Amino acid sequence: MAISRKQRESRSFLVFARNHVFVTIFGVVVPVVLFLAFIGYPIVYTIYLSFFEWNGMAPVKKFVGLANYAYLTGDKYFYVALFNNLKWLVVALVFPVTLGFLIAYAMRLRVVYFPSFLRTAVFFPVTMSLIAVGLMFLLILNPIFGAFDTLLRSLGLGFLVREWFGDFHIALYTLAVISGWAFTGLPMIFYFAGLGDVPKETIDAARIEGAGHFRMITRVTLPQLRPVTAVVVMLTLFESFKAFDLVAVLTKGAPFGTTNVLGYLVYLESFWNSRFGYGATLSVAILVLSVALAALLLSTVLKGAFRE
Amino acid sequence: MSDIALVQPRNRKRFHLRNVGPKLVATLLALALAAVFLGPMYLVVITSIKSNKDFLAGPFAWPSGVTFEPYRQVWQELHFGDLMSNSLLYASTGAALAVLLALVPAFALSRFDLPGKTVLFGMFLTGLMLPQQTVLIPLYAALRTLHLLDSKIGLIIVHGIYGMPAQILILRGFMTAIPSEIEKAARIEGATDFAVFWKVILPLSVPGIIVGYSLNFIAIWKEFVFGLVFLNHEANFPLTVGMLKLNSDRYISVFNLPAAGLVISQIPIVILFILCYRKLTSGNFVGAVKG
Repeated sequence: MAISRKQRESRSFLVFARNHVFVTIFGVVVPVVLFLAFIGYPIVYTIYLSFFEWNGMAPVKKFVGLANYAYLTGDKYFYVALFNNLKWLVVALVFPVTLGFLIAYAMRLRVVYFPSFLRTAVFFPVTMSLIAVGLMFLLILNPIFGAFDTLLRSLGLGFLVREWFGDFHIALYTLAVISGWAFTGLPMIFYFAGLGDVPKETIDAARIEGAGHFRMITRVTLPQLRPVTAVVVMLTLFESFKAFDLVAVLTKGAPFGTTNVLGYLVYLESFWNSRFGYGATLSVAILVLSVALAALLLSTVLKGAFRE
Repeated sequence: MSDIALVQPRNRKRFHLRNVGPKLVATLLALALAAVFLGPMYLVVITSIKSNKDFLAGPFAWPSGVTFEPYRQVWQELHFGDLMSNSLLYASTGAALAVLLALVPAFALSRFDLPGKTVLFGMFLTGLMLPQQTVLIPLYAALRTLHLLDSKIGLIIVHGIYGMPAQILILRGFMTAIPSEIEKAARIEGATDFAVFWKVILPLSVPGIIVGYSLNFIAIWKEFVFGLVFLNHEANFPLTVGMLKLNSDRYISVFNLPAAGLVISQIPIVILFILCYRKLTSGNFVGAVKG
């Protein structure tokens, strides 16, 4: 069945192309060629390179088969970085995504006065580069003159003060929370737009039946917003696996490589250690792991969310 | 007066009062939350106009005098003027290229029953989700072969093409929303595909183009990895890469310098944000991704 449909499609595409030359050339051929040349080919080339040993300069690349992958399975830095990405993802799902939803909910159901003020405040950090965000928190979390520690001490919470970037127990969480601070605005507008599509009658009906906010969220809005949640979770997942900028500006993987993430490890191995083959292997690992995790989520917790 | 008339206003009043309390509490919470998001910005602005002596009095202390010396230093000695004009160049032309490339594909995906539509759509979604690190090494090698490494044009092309998938999805969302009656009327008068695109769809897509362009502008302004890897000379650096030196040991005890750099780097975005804030925070473009 599937094959015959494909054949039919390819034949009808030729018919379409003959009737719509302008649309075919600039709407399909040009973007597809550019996509394949600049995005498709690099992906394939990265996979190819992962079977080689190459210092980035030598004219000849040495074929090593699966040696890079064998090395990867025993590389303790890889595991540290991978678990850091997973921790990063959990923090992102718990903090910015949940908070973003609650803010959107509070604004749509008019739980607060001046809803658009909060929306602007929360969205603004989304427009900042993570380098700027990083430099900003370097100032605020400075161990001696930082505003955050000063605030904690003046509130009598001085015992909570830590070496935010130096203590290897928490440095990674510091980074993940900062990244969450800058990310909250995105889930917020996704949910804000999504809540606008929830029929008003549904919400009013639940309200008349005396549903409190907790039941309104768990029984009425969240079930209606499953497609939005699916998009937000996918976005968060891929953003977490892309994490790089904050690590580069704040810790460079220190202390002792405990804040390395996969994206930074690729950069270190390729451009600092000149191990482009192994860097490519790590890239493939990022791609495979994030797609696999996405598929896992879409087939379990978020099952059917995209079809709704 | 009837009983009903007496009862009703009182009822309404009680209903209101019951809601005002929680709503006030919620608003206070919301304000505290807003402070969490705006507070750091406020502190940075204050720090940037303080002398360092003032800063030692504590991060929250009011400045004893306003100084613009850090701004002058950052602008002249740390070449923020050049970095800024580079970033403006990359963001404005890169976003323009992305929108330009995306217009006709979005037209094709939204107004035609294109065979193989789902394949095309899935392909562009892949481009959207892809971690940059996955393509870094081959792109680096390809740019070197083309002699476009460490060149402004090279980086603009990369930004334009990598912005294209997101622009296609956003513009497709806006174009789908244009009523088909308008297009039909043009078709009846014998308009070609190009005429429909140029005279009907394009003028009606201007709001979508503004949103898409602004989002892409911001995305390139924020971008760091490509600039870091593909450029070597400071003369070509965008702000994100050039700003890294504010983090070097030399400035660790000079607080107003990084703060001033931060403020400068955010000014163009603040202007853009004010110009199209409603469009950006309403989430209109979200429909494009859901579709």
